[in-house]
Amino acid sequence: MSEEAHGTSNYIKIWAILVVLLVLSVLGPMLGIQAVTLITAFGIAVVKAYMVAKKFMHISEAPKFITYLMVTCLVFMLLFVAGSAPDVFKSEGDNWKKTASWQYMPPEADHGAENH
Amino acid sequence: MAESIPSDATPAHDDHHHEEPSFASKYIFSTDHKMIAMQYMFTGMAMALIGGFMAYVFRMQLAFPGIDVPGYGLVTPANYNSLVTNHGTIMIFWVAMPVLIAAFGNFLIPLMCGCDDMVFPRINRLSYQIFLLSAIVLLGSFFVQGGGFGGAWTAYPPLSAKAEYSLTPLGSSIWLIAVALEFVAFLLGGINFVTTAMNARAPGMKLYDIPMVVWMIVIASILFMVSVGPLIAGAIMLLFDQVLGTAFYDPDRGGDPILWQHLFWFFGHPEVYVVLLPAVGITAEIITVFSRKKLFAYKTVLHTAIGTGVLSFTVWAHHQFIAGIDPRMAHVFTLTTLLISIPIAEMMFVYIATLYGGSIRLTTPMLWALAFIGEFLIGGVTGIFLGASGSDIYLHDTYFVLAHFHYTFYPIAIIGTMAGVTFWFPKMFGRHMNENLGKIHFWGSIIPFNFIFIPLFVLGLGGQHRRVFDYTNFPDLSLPWMQEFRVIATVALLVMLGFQILFLYNFFQSIFKGRKAERNPWNSNTLEWTTESPPPHGNWPELPTVYRGPYEYSVPGRDKDYWPQNEPV
Repeated sequence: MSEEAHGTSNYIKIWAILVVLLVLSVLGPMLGIQAVTLITAFGIAVVKAYMVAKKFMHISEAPKFITYLMVTCLVFMLLFVAGSAPDVFKSEGDNWKKTASWQYMPPEADHGAENH
Repeated sequence: MAESIPSDATPAHDDHHHEEPSFASKYIFSTDHKMIAMQYMFTGMAMALIGGFMAYVFRMQLAFPGIDVPGYGLVTPANYNSLVTNHGTIMIFWVAMPVLIAAFGNFLIPLMCGCDDMVFPRINRLSYQIFLLSAIVLLGSFFVQGGGFGGAWTAYPPLSAKAEYSLTPLGSSIWLIAVALEFVAFLLGGINFVTTAMNARAPGMKLYDIPMVVWMIVIASILFMVSVGPLIAGAIMLLFDQVLGTAFYDPDRGGDPILWQHLFWFFGHPEVYVVLLPAVGITAEIITVFSRKKLFAYKTVLHTAIGTGVLSFTVWAHHQFIAGIDPRMAHVFTLTTLLISIPIAEMMFVYIATLYGGSIRLTTPMLWALAFIGEFLIGGVTGIFLGASGSDIYLHDTYFVLAHFHYTFYPIAIIGTMAGVTFWFPKMFGRHMNENLGKIHFWGSIIPFNFIFIPLFVLGLGGQHRRVFDYTNFPDLSLPWMQEFRVIATVALLVMLGFQILFLYNFFQSIFKGRKAERNPWNSNTLEWTTESPPPHGNWPELPTVYRGPYEYSVPGRDKDYWPQNEPV
């Protein structure tokens, strides 16, 4: 029983820390300094995600291989982002157009370019 | 670790009722892994018939354009698109997956690991119910306004995202929902396979004593779990594009159609290995039994399977070389794609080394297993041409690609399944299949298979594009020799489908009238052969203990040439 009560108080403590971090992550970007914005928005988000996973999702109490599995998934996610970033980021959806070949096409052909 | 298993893990048959179970408790709510395996298998077989019928219809249209196809009628362009789309979808998601992973996984994992059932029997039951629902939803899509989805099984937007392009306003959304439901079913099933194999093995069965097919199903389940996330996220975005008018994949409104291709193939390529690995595992079991030899390099096969699994996550963009991806990334993906052929080739060499010097018995399952090695190698080697971005620019979207992946998927889904079914049939039903009919069916399937797809390789090299309804509209693609090759492929398909009737006859006749099978008809070592055929509820009166690995055949100094895993020294 006492163990259970201890567990609950721990949850509340973690929750309180998360609320404080949330306030910081909202206030930080208001300063308008780029470095501070990045740290408070994304840095704190990472810390919060770590705390939620560790305490609320019980990764800390689960067998070690669960941690490895989670890390593996994270690695695969980064791999996916890295592999697709050159096509998807900054392309504004235009990569599917073969612009390099347009010079060989008759000038009056419509390639849908007027949409941009 | 065992204490972390929730209460659902209690064996389903704790309360042994010996009165005859009702129809509902025996078939609809049964949590027995063998019953669920059979249900997956029969559903998969029914879907295979539907998928095969679709192939028959569109191959008839391609060989004899405009013909009134017997049993179907006139094929319209919209029908054609819907048929090819759903043929691909059904054969991969509703045939290969349920039979190779779910049916064999459910049947074999508890029996080969020496436990009485899956660790989560009710989740297992739920998995099949959701799978059945997904099949019904998919088949239902043919009867809605506009008909079944016709945007190809890869569902590339913008074709799939807008009803005015695909002309299937409801069919495309129902297709997405069916696929999503099917994935839920396999996630639930996969949890069971991994947990059962890792936590519920018989006493004495160490990690390296696990039969290879169990390892392969476990690795395949993990690959599926890790890769399916991006596709489900992508599918939800596609569904939003279809029904809510969002623009994730619409380039006119700032979306990116290539994003879908990344999300799809990040799942889609590991998916090839998800179905390949169980077939590779089945082959390992069969060739060791019928060459009476130890599997050559057990650990190598296991480690290369894990290596293949990891590498399979790094190759996805080889499907997109000419989709407009960054050319620098094409170099990277060419390299990783060529790398992945190394572990697969290594596995094939291990199998050939296992056969070398063995006393080979050419039973029906062995014929299928040998055919798997031979035919899959052709599929693998032609993959090199497509994996290299330079040659893929020429071959992309031709029938060369189509013939290549049929040379991988046919060995996996049909040859692998047939090998497994003919091998474990005595254990599943307690009777033997007819060997002679089995061999006639084998040759009647393998020879026409090559006659279907070798002409398609040639047509692909000749520039024949995929997904064309009627080639007579394209003078370059309707030369007389090309049309002759299409007719050869179609006639071969008809012959192959005809021989499947022989299989169905042999299968169902043997279930009821076949020669009775004893416990261990093949003199095999693994645990499933130590119980009755078919195994009773709970599998063994007393659970077995394991003393050695699964492949101790022809051990010097023993009278018998096999040494069951549960036999004390």
